[in-house]
Amino acid sequence: MDETLGKESAALHPKKKKKQPITWSLIKNQKQLIWMSVPLLLYIILFAYVPVWGWTMAFQNYRPARAFSEQEWVGFKQFRFLFTDDNFLRVLRNTLAMGIINLVLGFVTAIVLALLLNEIRKVFWKRLVQTVSYLPHFLSWIIVTGIVATSLSINDGIVNIVLMKLHIISEPILWLSQGKYFWGIVGASHVWKEVGWNTIIYLAAIASIDPALYEAAEIDGASRYKKMRFVTLPGIKATIVILLIMSVGHVLEAGFEVQYLLGNGLVVDWSETIDIFVLKYGLAQGNYSLATAGGIFKTVVSVTLLLMANWTAKRLGEERLL
Amino acid sequence: MGGKKKAVYKLSLIVLLSLSFTLSGCGGNNSGNGNKAGTAADNGGATATQTAAADTDGKIEPFEISFFIGEAGQQPTPDNKIFKKIKEETGASFNFEYLAGDINQKLGVMIAGQDYPDVMTGNTKLTAAGAYQPLEDLIEQYAPNLKAHYADYWNMMKDPNDGHIYILPNYGVYNGEVNSAWYSGPAFWIQKAVLKEFGYPKVKTLDEYFDLIAKYKEKYPKIDGSPTIGFEILNSDWRNWGLFNAPQHLIGHPNDGGVVVNDGVAEIFADKDYAKKYYQKLNEMNQLGLIDKETFVQNYDQYMAKLSSGTVLGMFDQHWNFSAAEDSLTTQGKIERTYVGLPLVYDTATTDYYRDLAVLNLNNGFGISINAKDPVKIIKLLDTLISEDWQKTLAWGIEGEDYIVENGRFMKTQEQRDNAADPTWQMANKAKTLFGYLPKIEGSYSDGNSTDASAQPEEYAASVKPYDREVLDAYGFNSYVDFFSKPPANPVYYPAWSIDLVEGSDAKIANTKLNELSTKYLPKAILADPADFDSVWGDYTGDIQKANVKAYEDKINEQIKWRIEKWSK
Repeated sequence: MDETLGKESAALHPKKKKKQPITWSLIKNQKQLIWMSVPLLLYIILFAYVPVWGWTMAFQNYRPARAFSEQEWVGFKQFRFLFTDDNFLRVLRNTLAMGIINLVLGFVTAIVLALLLNEIRKVFWKRLVQTVSYLPHFLSWIIVTGIVATSLSINDGIVNIVLMKLHIISEPILWLSQGKYFWGIVGASHVWKEVGWNTIIYLAAIASIDPALYEAAEIDGASRYKKMRFVTLPGIKATIVILLIMSVGHVLEAGFEVQYLLGNGLVVDWSETIDIFVLKYGLAQGNYSLATAGGIFKTVVSVTLLLMANWTAKRLGEERLL
Repeated sequence: MGGKKKAVYKLSLIVLLSLSFTLSGCGGNNSGNGNKAGTAADNGGATATQTAAADTDGKIEPFEISFFIGEAGQQPTPDNKIFKKIKEETGASFNFEYLAGDINQKLGVMIAGQDYPDVMTGNTKLTAAGAYQPLEDLIEQYAPNLKAHYADYWNMMKDPNDGHIYILPNYGVYNGEVNSAWYSGPAFWIQKAVLKEFGYPKVKTLDEYFDLIAKYKEKYPKIDGSPTIGFEILNSDWRNWGLFNAPQHLIGHPNDGGVVVNDGVAEIFADKDYAKKYYQKLNEMNQLGLIDKETFVQNYDQYMAKLSSGTVLGMFDQHWNFSAAEDSLTTQGKIERTYVGLPLVYDTATTDYYRDLAVLNLNNGFGISINAKDPVKIIKLLDTLISEDWQKTLAWGIEGEDYIVENGRFMKTQEQRDNAADPTWQMANKAKTLFGYLPKIEGSYSDGNSTDASAQPEEYAASVKPYDREVLDAYGFNSYVDFFSKPPANPVYYPAWSIDLVEGSDAKIANTKLNELSTKYLPKAILADPADFDSVWGDYTGDIQKANVKAYEDKINEQIKWRIEKWSK
């Protein structure tokens, strides 16, 4: 046992950082390591790659409970239906718009809140603000949309009451009946629900900044604002970029629940996302193939966006994910 | 080809092979299910002899049946009186699984895994996936009572796609005299207080109806401190008939869903002039401020909350959809705020046809799944439960405990009535969900008693509150059902809404499109400036023409023809 361990550590720490050719003896030496990685590898294959097989559904007229060989193959028919439908462009526009709004708003508010929280000196208040702001994260969307709908109501909705009292509007506005407000409402609900939660990671990043930097800046006569600008922000830049790259891949995940639960006939032109479209014409019709085609489309776009963001970051000499 | 490449090639071959083995393995199982249909009867034969043997011994063999109920619900208590009786006398015990969450999602998972309990409530998705066993042979062989019960409806129960019977419908088979005191269908509803205020006028037309609402709203701008809402339209998710269905009724047609059928030919009515007339009227009423501003923004819960507050004067809806709000109003002691259903038409020359004779509902009731280990036992149990004695037990309860008999008439004491209305009591003393989905006798038993306690004339008379008595007496009616014309015999094909459009077909896509267009344009048209109404309507009908309406109409017409052919006696 000791012997193998000794060999293994020797193999793990080669004298020079040179690519070692993979040989039988190396594999034998590291067999414990290899065995240890097998379960993880199986896990990934089983849950990340085997399901990709299901993509074949997108090229069939899939009927459940029928063998693979009995399925009817239809080529790109589902994709054609998706892309030629009048609604698809509109749905794509909505998804992208709301995705980008959520991304930008989510980012800006989370970073600003983190910076501001970092400036609070009284720990009690800092904790209080943090707790209050991240609690909505644990509410489900169905509850959040209920709260949103109630606050936007024209009978005793808090938003209309406040705006009326401030004399900004003279008559209550029916917020949920106008398409032009819809994206904003969705963005604002997202911010309310997630801002505290998103802030946590930035606060952690800020906590890891060397206090000596602040001291040095102070000695150099930096104001509070300047310290924020020249110490804190650069300190969390790496975190920001990585998170941004990861979120770009999720732009098409603009959401389903909010739009589905807050949407109605009057705002459908602004509220319907790809997910809702796929639900209506795919799952609700038992047309699982179309739903799969929609899923593939989203995945392809997401991966492309992710790679593009990563590439851009690399070009700009920033941290990157891949 | 280098060594490495070769290895990759080999590896991928192995992966591919193992994958295809697994898949073909699954496939084998699945295709087996298709054959199972044919062999079910044979399997059944073998087990049947066993059960028969057990029966002759006089011993009751205990067995358990698992049920999937396609709606949310509550488990009965473990010592439930009725289930105990069933177990003692037939040996059957039940294992219910109620729906939690979304039905489509749940069914998707069930279908994907081929994971079915013994008995499932009816659903076209499950039928399409081949999840049910054909029942006709089973019934012929082992279930004489069921056979007799469904005799007149046999052909109607057959699946139009393959001619097998998969579902035992729970409602729509009538025996004896039909008493009904509760109208559950669509109507224009109006608060009883409004009728009383104006001396119980006879309201026949849409114009009269809105006049009353306008007058009442003017006189009472607030009810219990909240602003009075004239008219409410619910159009949320699948509960969209509040907006869509009224035009067909206004021209004296029964509820056929999205189409109007004349002489066996169906066509959509969404873009017709009589539909326009209705929405134009609503547009005018909106100008007068009679229609709730939030009506198209609200969901079902908000709608129910408004109705329960008693401030809504009227709406178009199906009674069962909002009866919970009426219960709440009754509990609050606001009986004058509960509703009377009115069968409105455009002009007095038209006869109303809101109330119809109940039809067989093929999308409801129980079917036996292909995974059921012992379909014969299940069908025999269902056959036992359709017998009149069991039906009385399930509907009325146990004589002496849950109801009393006077001169052969079933009645309840006040205590028994209160019990029957108490949900906690029901959990321990009724098999409510099970009975809801079981095949059942409707109308009256052979001794003349109603199969439904609330429809028993004596019971209904005892339950009418003084306020309701006043309303009914003013009109000279026995019950609120009398507001509606007596329904003629149903046309053979009726109703068109129960036609299965087949998952994923062009017809279904067209139907979804139509729904979407109506949801989008009708609210716009109603809320539009009257000057813009015509242009919005033009956009709407223009878009309808672009949707593949023909596929939808063709499918319905094809099925109507099929029904007329197969269902006519």
